[in-house]
Amino acid sequence: MSLSQRSENAILTAPLVLFLLALLGFPTVLDVIYSLSDVSFETLRAPTFTGLDNFRAVLADPDFWQATWFSLKFAVLTSVAECVLGLALAIYFSPILRRAPWMLAILIMPMIIAPAMMGLMYRLVLHEFIGPLPNYLYNWFGVSYGFLTAQNVFKTIFVIETLQWTPFALLLFHMAYESIPEDIREAASVDGTRGWRLLTRIELPLMLPTLGVALFIRFIDGFRVFDNIWTLTGTGPGGSTTSLSIYIYVAFFRSGEIGQAIAASMILFAAAFLVLFVAARRGRGKETA
Amino acid sequence: MTFRKKMLTATALSALMATAAQAEVTVLGWPGGPEEEALRAVTEIYNAKDDVAEENKVELLFFSRDGFFDKLQADLAAGSDAFDVNLLATYSIGRYAPYMEPITLSGEAEGVFGDTVLSTMQFEGAQYGVPTDLSMHFLFFRSDLMEELMGDEDAKATYAAISEEYLGTAMEPVAPDEMTWEDFAATALYFSRSVNPDSPTRYGTVLQMKNLLFNMMVFQSLPRAYGADWMDADGNITVDSEAYRTGLEMYKMLYDAGATPTDSLSYEFPEANAAFTSGQVAMMVQWNGASGALTGAESAPMTADVTDSVAPPTGPEGRFTHIHGLGLGLNKNAQNPDGAKAFLEWLSTEEAAVAYATAGGAPGLTGTAIEAVAEARPDLVPLGEFASNYGYVMNGATGANALSIYELQAQEFTGYWGDTQSLDEALSAAEAGMADLLK
Repeated sequence: MSLSQRSENAILTAPLVLFLLALLGFPTVLDVIYSLSDVSFETLRAPTFTGLDNFRAVLADPDFWQATWFSLKFAVLTSVAECVLGLALAIYFSPILRRAPWMLAILIMPMIIAPAMMGLMYRLVLHEFIGPLPNYLYNWFGVSYGFLTAQNVFKTIFVIETLQWTPFALLLFHMAYESIPEDIREAASVDGTRGWRLLTRIELPLMLPTLGVALFIRFIDGFRVFDNIWTLTGTGPGGSTTSLSIYIYVAFFRSGEIGQAIAASMILFAAAFLVLFVAARRGRGKETA
Repeated sequence: MTFRKKMLTATALSALMATAAQAEVTVLGWPGGPEEEALRAVTEIYNAKDDVAEENKVELLFFSRDGFFDKLQADLAAGSDAFDVNLLATYSIGRYAPYMEPITLSGEAEGVFGDTVLSTMQFEGAQYGVPTDLSMHFLFFRSDLMEELMGDEDAKATYAAISEEYLGTAMEPVAPDEMTWEDFAATALYFSRSVNPDSPTRYGTVLQMKNLLFNMMVFQSLPRAYGADWMDADGNITVDSEAYRTGLEMYKMLYDAGATPTDSLSYEFPEANAAFTSGQVAMMVQWNGASGALTGAESAPMTADVTDSVAPPTGPEGRFTHIHGLGLGLNKNAQNPDGAKAFLEWLSTEEAAVAYATAGGAPGLTGTAIEAVAEARPDLVPLGEFASNYGYVMNGATGANALSIYELQAQEFTGYWGDTQSLDEALSAAEAGMADLLK
């Protein structure tokens, strides 16, 4: 590569590099500084360096671990439930969707709703006096079920999240299922492979990459959940619905613990980076093998 | 005109327009609802005055209500000069004071608002705002049900049996205005179908138990009636007290007995109103701001005619209602501080206060000001009276960390009510956290 070509490349990429530096670099540097400082809204421009104190405080805070456990449990359970349901529905509906593809638009409608709106909607739906569900439960069975009590709130938000995002998995799996070449199915059929065996030995292995991607995306979305829970229950009785994102928001805005909030987000970033790094390494290892 | 001349003219015009825009007084108000309507009304009056210079006319600015105080804090901390006058609340004065300037009110202010109401806008002895709206709690009740209970001997016998079983004493029903918190609990139990299958309502009361700082304000009037405070004169945290235990245990007893809706742990202002107006709740302690919704024929067709209100119940240490005010104060980075000060001074006059109240606001007024609006706004009459007689602010509740303390209490107390921790754990955690926040 000649010198002029090199400088041409540098000139052409400079705007993008500068844009990224301004958009990502500056906040990242500021985050690092704040996470190592005693800083509040009053001292945003003059933080006091305190070393790793914020990280120690976050790691010693039982609420942080409770929020981490909540996010992890929520992400694992919802991503698995959404993928299993989405896969089952994609396969079950495939003959119908082949004939009437427009039905897909109806099936994926829940995911079009903004999560915050979903939370607000269920505040109404689950309200004992104006919500249809508790109303019918009471009128038909005399039951006054507490959907949002400390004991039931996790189950309720799990169901709400699953109902909203299963269509996303359904969409991915439908596309993957339909993209399996028909001649493979025909060849398997000629060899006597049908039904369950066709699904588990031929179709599912071919859909495995999509399954992995769907699970991964849903896990990430579940782990960083904020909007719908915040509008539905807030932090929940005794903090029982505090996800890691809610923990960071509350620490930052409500408690004014800016350093701790950013330290928590840095820990979250490091953990996510580690998971992605390991996943990428393993993925590359498999490709090489 | 040459291109150069055109550019110069355009630049000069832009500069002039920018100067004109900067010279206006921009007021950041509380968005939506009667507060916005009232502020718009008084702004129109102010701007129409002959002695208000063109550069001091008031322009209004509104954010969304959601996360308002968080956004305001971020703006103030960033040194924003996008507004000259901004909203502030009693519980957040300490948080905003570093970015605001104390103000001087008109000479009429003391006679218009009274000392208690003015103190809701003070921090460390300085006046930071004009009190525009006052919030406190009323006991809303179904007058038809209460009259029926008081006049029925069989009902009284059932009431006595229920109160003996749950509260250890056979009690007699009393009128809402004479209720102690024990009477409140007994009445709530009597009107709950889970306790009294013959009750005309499903629940005796509706408690707002969501993990939310505003719900703690509603709750605190109960322990306060038993002598509760956040800290004593020496600065010792006093939350782990018999008064708080009594209040917390009473809430839990009512929740466990089914005297409040099953999902009360997720209830706040609108949910409680919806429950009450359904006709399935006999009484509740609620913000005065709910008056319109609970007594309006359109918003409460089933209960409006039979809904009445008094001050919250009393206790061994007296009768109390939490009070806090919304107000308007001066941004330290105001672009037009003189214009802003002039507007704020006028806002504290009787003329402005009366206009604000008539247009739908809820200021706490006294003297000739309340007489002037009594006919148009009868609901404002008890506001001033209750504020003077029963209003209180916990020791430390205007400090920089007041909101964080309410948040902390909400977290710990709802944990106890929701059975995720014991009462001792909740009080101990609240005390430790408050010691840290109030030091």
